[in-house]
Amino acid sequence: MAAGPASHCGLPRAQRPHLSKMEQMVVSMQDPDQGVKMRSQRLLITVIPHAVTGNDVMEWLIHKYCITEEEALHLGTLLVRHGYLYPLRDPCHLELRLDETPYRFQTPYFWMSTLWPAAELDYAIYLAKKNIRKRGGLFDHEKEHYDQLHRKISHTWDLVVMQAREQLWAAKQRRKGDRLVIACQEQTYWLVNRPPPGVPSVLEQGPERNSCTAGRVQMTKTVDFYRREVECLRKALGRARVKSSVCLEAYLKFSSQRGPHDPIMSGCLPSNPWVTDNDTYWAMNAPSAAVPTRLRVEQWAFSFRELLEDPVGRAHFMDFLSKEFSAENLSFWEACEELRHGGQAQVPALVDAVYQQFLAPGAARWVNIDSRTMERTLVGLGRPHRHVLDDAQLHIYMLMKKDSYPRFLKSDLYRDLLAEAVVPPETKRRVFPFMRKPRHSSPSPALLPASASREPSGGDGEA
Amino acid sequence: MAKEECKALLDALNKATACYHHLVLTIGGSADSQNLREELQKTRQKAQELAMAIRGRLTPPLRDRGLGAEERAEFERLWVAFSSCLDLLEADMRRALTLGTEFPLNKPLRPLVRTGVEGGAANVAARALSARSLRHEAERGFDVEDLHQLEREILQVGEMIHDMEMKVNVPRWTVQARQAAGAELLARPSAGVSSMRCVSVEQRMGPCDPSKALAATIFSAVLLAAVALAVCVAKLS
Repeated sequence: MAAGPASHCGLPRAQRPHLSKMEQMVVSMQDPDQGVKMRSQRLLITVIPHAVTGNDVMEWLIHKYCITEEEALHLGTLLVRHGYLYPLRDPCHLELRLDETPYRFQTPYFWMSTLWPAAELDYAIYLAKKNIRKRGGLFDHEKEHYDQLHRKISHTWDLVVMQAREQLWAAKQRRKGDRLVIACQEQTYWLVNRPPPGVPSVLEQGPERNSCTAGRVQMTKTVDFYRREVECLRKALGRARVKSSVCLEAYLKFSSQRGPHDPIMSGCLPSNPWVTDNDTYWAMNAPSAAVPTRLRVEQWAFSFRELLEDPVGRAHFMDFLSKEFSAENLSFWEACEELRHGGQAQVPALVDAVYQQFLAPGAARWVNIDSRTMERTLVGLGRPHRHVLDDAQLHIYMLMKKDSYPRFLKSDLYRDLLAEAVVPPETKRRVFPFMRKPRHSSPSPALLPASASREPSGGDGEA
Repeated sequence: MAKEECKALLDALNKATACYHHLVLTIGGSADSQNLREELQKTRQKAQELAMAIRGRLTPPLRDRGLGAEERAEFERLWVAFSSCLDLLEADMRRALTLGTEFPLNKPLRPLVRTGVEGGAANVAARALSARSLRHEAERGFDVEDLHQLEREILQVGEMIHDMEMKVNVPRWTVQARQAAGAELLARPSAGVSSMRCVSVEQRMGPCDPSKALAATIFSAVLLAAVALAVCVAKLS
């Protein structure tokens, strides 16, 4: 539990930008001229200021951000769910109501970004305080948590009890109105961070990337601080950025091209095996199917990589290249792939074999590489490792992609493949539901599948 | 006795930490002011003094190998409570720094969050310092210098914790706390007026109950009227 020497950790707030945006919104609501209208809350004797109604919040959001009512309601609900605003009448239900229910703003100490993650010791102290105030009247889930915490941190239980008592005493030194407000604030914080069962938790997000508890604020800017800033900014400059217009166009193109091929978006022929128990679809699209389906052949035209990744496609491409007397390119590429992904012990032998077969002057299947790449490869061959032929492989890949691949797509071979490709017919939907093939065929004759609409006289042999 | 002194100091540190926590709650809210920042400074400095004193008292017995098992267990209990308290204090100080930087008092660009808390916390700070009342001497730019000071103090406390961990080795899992679960519901064993007040915890009227209180008053009024009528009827007949 003790903290080590102070070390600079990443920026935890940058990982949760939605929280900082919500906080900015809350702060702009506090503006005395342009913020939300504040009212006072009247209890029997005390008057507590700074209450807002759900309607006021909605109007302010609509006015400030020029959004629709639905969006404003959603934004407001998010604010309430994350604990930046809490209802005064029904504190256990964190939602934004569009009537005169009063709400109040949460103090910055209990904002989600300041106090993240919620510490167990703090929760134990809170439960102990609640225990004292309500004389044992905790909710069921709170009682469970209490027992769990007692088991987990029983060694500091002395401190828990002492702190709980002292904090209650400290609170008594304030005016009654302040005391009520502070108690409500704490209750809201724990409702958000330890929600009762059945309430969706806003804390659920992906695995924490930089889990450190509190952000380290630095007041005195030392040389180290500036050095780190410079490093960070230099890295940011070096990152490749794509304009969103380009990115979105590519995305649209991808979606329209792949739409008909996606089994979920456009259905799969003959039928979805998960629904009808008929696995023809898988058999026809197996990697080593003899006759490829039409969709599969069309997919080879999308990019060179698709063609090479499909074993059937690669085989047909090899046939095409042998007709053009440039099959050694593809063989060289395949040999390099084997080198890259093969075992470490085979690397020297394989490099040697590849050199002898493809790269040596006067080799049997000599590939055409430009002189600069060849020089670099020859230098690297002195110390063979699995990536030594990467440059040459890339050169041959680009050669095939620019030269042979377009010719393949225009060739007769490809057109014949397209014509011969199979389009499986969709299975006919049976009209009469009780004639449908049973979903689960029972192996044992003793268990008859109970179908309510079975004909009494008919009895298909389903035993 | 060394143990009694340590216990008394630990109680005082506990009180100071609780009051500091209570004061840090209101930073950035509508009750934030230069006075509050000054109270924070005084409370945390007092807490740090107490921490140093306790550390000075607790370290020698724990490093002494020839201590009996009973006594050692007792000291270890105190040590665990002390180090957890110090962790709480450090965490609160860090949060105070973050919040103080975000909500500077003299810049009007970032208004304070209107939380509904008003009124000073001078009594809270006075309780922490065990003083009758507190004199405020804060000038206008107090919070900015205070933040620098706070940063330094956070580093100091961090070093103290690290030092403590290095010098004294108390495995947490072997320490058995005295208080069992639910011990807070029992009356406080310490003598004095404070225990009497603790037992009679006043019923907290939440802001959700004005209608209930109103209904109760109306009901009692109706009941009284009914009793009066019954008495009149009895007298007449």
